[in-house]
Amino acid sequence: MQRLLDKGLEQLTTMVFKMGEVAEKTLSISIGGFVRGRDTSEDVGELSEILVTMTVEVEEKAFGLIAKYQPVASDLRIINSYIKIAYDFERYGRYAWDIAYIRKRFGKMDNCEEWIPEYIGDMGEKVLQMVKISIDSLKSLDTELAKTVTKTEAEVDDMYFKYLGKLVEQAGVTNECTISSVLVVRYLERIADHATYITEAVVYIATGEKVTLR
Amino acid sequence: MSANKKMKSLGLNAWFGKKQALKDINITIRANAVTAIIGPSGCGKSTFIRTLNRMHELVPEAKMSGQILLDGKNIYDSDVDPVMIRRRVGMVFQKPNPFPTMSIYDNVAAGLRLTGTKKGKNMDEVVKRSLEQATLWEEVKNDLKKPGTSISGGQQQRLCIARAIALQPEVILMDEPCSALDPIATAKIEELVVQLKDNYTVVIVTHNMQQAARVSDFTAFMYLGQLIEFDDTTTVFENPRSELTEKYITGKFG
Repeated sequence: MQRLLDKGLEQLTTMVFKMGEVAEKTLSISIGGFVRGRDTSEDVGELSEILVTMTVEVEEKAFGLIAKYQPVASDLRIINSYIKIAYDFERYGRYAWDIAYIRKRFGKMDNCEEWIPEYIGDMGEKVLQMVKISIDSLKSLDTELAKTVTKTEAEVDDMYFKYLGKLVEQAGVTNECTISSVLVVRYLERIADHATYITEAVVYIATGEKVTLR
Repeated sequence: MSANKKMKSLGLNAWFGKKQALKDINITIRANAVTAIIGPSGCGKSTFIRTLNRMHELVPEAKMSGQILLDGKNIYDSDVDPVMIRRRVGMVFQKPNPFPTMSIYDNVAAGLRLTGTKKGKNMDEVVKRSLEQATLWEEVKNDLKKPGTSISGGQQQRLCIARAIALQPEVILMDEPCSALDPIATAKIEELVVQLKDNYTVVIVTHNMQQAARVSDFTAFMYLGQLIEFDDTTTVFENPRSELTEKYITGKFG
């Protein structure tokens, strides 16, 4: 027999999964646009706002379920984790907007040395891969898949610090390029962190185990 | 037995006639803590706490095997007086049951009188202290001569707790003490239960899982006479080890 709580949990799950799809799309447009030199700020801005609204809706739904049904055990773990994950998705949207705005504010990376857009493209690809894993593992509650982010997260971290080191060594970079690229790699690194938080929540939902995948 | 382990059941089995109600229960009750016993109807919760003060043996055809240690001493040893055990391990029942012909004062004093304490200043002090500890004194201090049944259900239950406290027990057993009470009276009893652990060891049987989560430090889940899981309450309600516990507390069966 279905419990009264089950219907609410199903609705909450649908909302969070939908958020994941919107967040992935937002990041994909933003990072892809930056690497290809396109201004995506309008589309990304709209999607980012949608994610903010969806976060509030998820929080309201989750608090309503807690107030009405006093969930425990796996029910409580799911609801608690969904609130956190919704925030992570909102942050995906916010960083996507930041990246799109950098492109709009500082222009294309034409004045950068050739290796810089390539480097950011590679890093962006890794980050999008982590974002995809975070969303896929959430949908399937596949803890093995979730744990695979650890390696990529370490690679992204490494790329971030290597990039800063390279910039210091390079004399030829322009100010615009330096500022915009440093900000973007920082945002990419933060997105990777949020992807990891989501996969940690996936493991918690599925097993009750609080793990660190960073 | 170390100081923080007040009671312990070892290989405890209990029967009503041929029907086995408890199967090999091994559990440690910590001192100055609240231990909640949860589980579906008929799982053996009430039988278990009745073995903790030898009330189980008062039921015709009831028997038990195994040991119940109180401060390390088996309460079922032949040299142990069951009346003394029931004084050290008091009981509060599901429905408030003040003695109907007695005043509020006499209800609290009744147990003491039965055990030989005489009227007087000392008795007055014990009654006052017991009602204070049961958080009832302020509400009844001017009505001590009124019948114990003249106050509300929630107050009557706190009166019964005061009656139990008056005998200065070491352990207080509570068998669904809020099941007959409204939410406000329930909240007062719950606050009281948490306060009581400063001075007593409390074991509470409850059907209300949120109540167990709110008031207890440890939770035992029983099913079909067996102890399925026993752990600190946060663990049981956040991440239970047993799938049966998970299903029961999330309402998927029971």
